[in-house]
Amino acid sequence: MLGGLNTRVMLEYLPEIWQGFLATLFLSAASFVGAMVLGVLACALAIQPLRWLRAPAVVYVDAIRATPLLAQLYFLYFGLPRLGVVLPEMLIGIIALSLNSGAYMAEIIRSGILSIPRGQVEAGMSTGLSYLQRMRLIVLPQALRVTVSPLIGQAIVLIKDSSLLSLISVVELTRAGQRIAIDRFMPVEGLVATALGYLVLYYVLKSAAGAWQARNSLPGRG
Amino acid sequence: MKNLTALACAAILTGMAAVATPAAAGTLDDILARGELRVAVQTQGPPFSFMDKNGQRTGSAIELTTLMAEEMGVKVVYLDFDWDGLLPALMSGKADMLAADMTPTLARATKVAFTKPFMYVGAVAFAKQGGDIASVEDCRKPGTTLAVLLGSTGEKLAPKVFPEAEIKSFKGGGTLILDAVASGQAKCGLNDNSAVKAQAAAYPEGTFTIFEEMLSKEPLAYAVRYDSMDLLTWGNLFIDTVTLDGRLDANLDYWVNSDAWKADH
Repeated sequence: MLGGLNTRVMLEYLPEIWQGFLATLFLSAASFVGAMVLGVLACALAIQPLRWLRAPAVVYVDAIRATPLLAQLYFLYFGLPRLGVVLPEMLIGIIALSLNSGAYMAEIIRSGILSIPRGQVEAGMSTGLSYLQRMRLIVLPQALRVTVSPLIGQAIVLIKDSSLLSLISVVELTRAGQRIAIDRFMPVEGLVATALGYLVLYYVLKSAAGAWQARNSLPGRG
Repeated sequence: MKNLTALACAAILTGMAAVATPAAAGTLDDILARGELRVAVQTQGPPFSFMDKNGQRTGSAIELTTLMAEEMGVKVVYLDFDWDGLLPALMSGKADMLAADMTPTLARATKVAFTKPFMYVGAVAFAKQGGDIASVEDCRKPGTTLAVLLGSTGEKLAPKVFPEAEIKSFKGGGTLILDAVASGQAKCGLNDNSAVKAQAAAYPEGTFTIFEEMLSKEPLAYAVRYDSMDLLTWGNLFIDTVTLDGRLDANLDYWVNSDAWKADH
């Protein structure tokens, strides 16, 4: 099927594809930062001992994980204006992706923290370390190491999810590929160009994750 | 005499050759053999193709293609697509025919074969009622956001008619651009008058102001693949036939030129 690929047209659309690639890179990076902030916050709330502070974190994580990203995106795009808040589509996209990914990141970080053997925490207690000291000195340095791989995995998911923003008229990589399909009626060329863009992003992140892991893995814990 | 014999032989041989290598079965033959006409339609494109209040698929294009299948003596099968999925569905062979409110542009005609136009429409602009947009002129102001449908003729027309507007292209059904305007994500919208009028009817009274000024004049036609010239010839004859016997006008008067259908659907 790919034998008949019209590379001439694909090259003609290279500037659009490149613009889309940069847009996808930008909004994924911005959303990743947002998601990390939300994820750390939600996780911190979820594991601390006060029940009334845990509740909002649990509601947030459950609400996001139980509904499709597309629904969340449309909810923000068409719903916020009803409350009188009209934001640019790019910003809404970043907010939606951050909220969505943040919930998954909270779970990843939480599972990393819970993976630290209870005995180490108890050892910390018996030497008189406070809650925050135990977190800072014993739990987090180890927990963050094991969460890096799944967090990068979540970043890859986030990049691919950002393709949904094309539905609220954000011009990113997927929309750039759709242009080839729509202007030239060559859907396969458009899809291949789009896929190549995502593939590049995927491999960059994958090798970054591999390199990080090779240098920082803990003996016996991967 | 000898020549005549040779000629006769040649004629017989040619005839045999023709019998030995039957002409490749046409699309019409395929349709008759499988007993169904496959038609690609838009999921939400009133008044041409949409799900009505009772969840029934209906519309002008639905009724006309049902009529086509009846005249052919086969069943009709509908395949649902978003606007920009229609052409790929036809080109990839999933559907035999594309029945939508599609303009036969020269660019599209490089890929698919269009029937004779069954009607003419024009693009109109619309805005939210009671907002700061009171005329088409207001939509022309620099930086005004204009919602169009990805891959539509409105999207092509927009930069010419509204050179200074900021154009936002939405993928999906036509109602998405109405949602964008209703919610304030875009100030103005641009699409075919028939589509805008029909789709605006689904919103509360007074949601939109549709500016009457026709910004273009465009034919609408159904499409088939270029390897289906038999079906194209048949389709053209169908349009001629229903034009002459009044069934086309009855369809368009009910669905497109008036709001008569809204009482029933």
